[in-house]
Amino acid sequence: MTPQTPTQSPVVTIKLASTSDELLQSYALRAAVFMGEQQCPYWEEFDGNDYSASHLMLYVDGEPAASMRVRWFSGFAKLERAIILKRYRSMGLFVPFVEWAKSFAAQKGYPKAYLHGQKRLWEIFERQGFRKINDQPFHFSDHEYGAFAAELDVADDPPSVLTDPMVLNRPEDQLDRRGILEESMERGASNPHAEWTERRIN
Amino acid sequence: METRSCSIDGEFVNTRIAGRMEDTLQAFAVRAACFIGEQDVPYSEEFDGQDFGATHLLAYLGNEPIGALRVRWFQSFAMPERLAVMQRFRGHKVGQLLLERARALAESRGCNILYTRVSPDQAIYFENQRWRRLDDGQTPGARPTVALVRPVDPAKENAEIADMDAFALSTQYRLEMPAAAVA
Repeated sequence: MTPQTPTQSPVVTIKLASTSDELLQSYALRAAVFMGEQQCPYWEEFDGNDYSASHLMLYVDGEPAASMRVRWFSGFAKLERAIILKRYRSMGLFVPFVEWAKSFAAQKGYPKAYLHGQKRLWEIFERQGFRKINDQPFHFSDHEYGAFAAELDVADDPPSVLTDPMVLNRPEDQLDRRGILEESMERGASNPHAEWTERRIN
Repeated sequence: METRSCSIDGEFVNTRIAGRMEDTLQAFAVRAACFIGEQDVPYSEEFDGQDFGATHLLAYLGNEPIGALRVRWFQSFAMPERLAVMQRFRGHKVGQLLLERARALAESRGCNILYTRVSPDQAIYFENQRWRRLDDGQTPGARPTVALVRPVDPAKENAEIADMDAFALSTQYRLEMPAAAVA
């Protein structure tokens, strides 16, 4: 799939990265922007937190165009590593992408989104309901940052320990849709398992 | 002579074959930075579906991955491609080091010919490393390429190209290939 000529308005899709290919796409876009454009060293870009995070992907006509990483703390979701590939900038993708991430976190029950914004982007974050929550800018990987937070409109009935267990089993960006494990219920409960083995000593 | 070692600021550059998931990811990251980030190649052209049937070579300065090269294996030739060196580490022959590592690897596998396709403006980089143009014809299209070959055995560099058994296969083998990023 190559990007199509803009004869018609492009189809934009946003989803939670849920396959190895989608994760690779996310890493490739981040490498392109942070390592390729912003000279970030590999080990600072891939900082060890990628396998404890959720990754969001945005596609334009099926082509990977933007990516964001979300980490889940107690009480807030941290949006980070948000990038749009050069050729897809100026299309107004950033605002809907951040809004999607905010509503994703809200549907999971998070009351707050938090991010470290590069100084040149502060105005954009402020327009999106984020307010600066630290006085002193800080810096890492050659950029100045400010800490920002936004209140989220938490879903009326956010997931809790009392939520239908099969709802909690659903893909996290589709909590309102029947998932594959609900379909598995048709098979009944045959409780298959391998036979117990003798406990081995040495 | 072949570039068998190179150093940057007194530190030697190491090469290795990607053998773990993490190594492969590093190769992809270097390529994404150079081809998608710098040269604006679309993701779906850069990651063309051939990455999991290929060997990936990496160059490191300390722990930092600074270069990558993909090698695909055919019956009569080995095909180094997707050569990428991170922008700020260029000018230190890291690309040559990776190509030499690919040559040595091909030699160890009993392969006779290296074959690649690059954009016309990059052919000189390979020709300076004793690659030869296979033909004058460039592939048509938005991104023309030229075919280049090199005997794996440096002693056979003057062999007739027509004798090379890669010839017939490789001329049929028209590939759209993003340019190398090593200049």
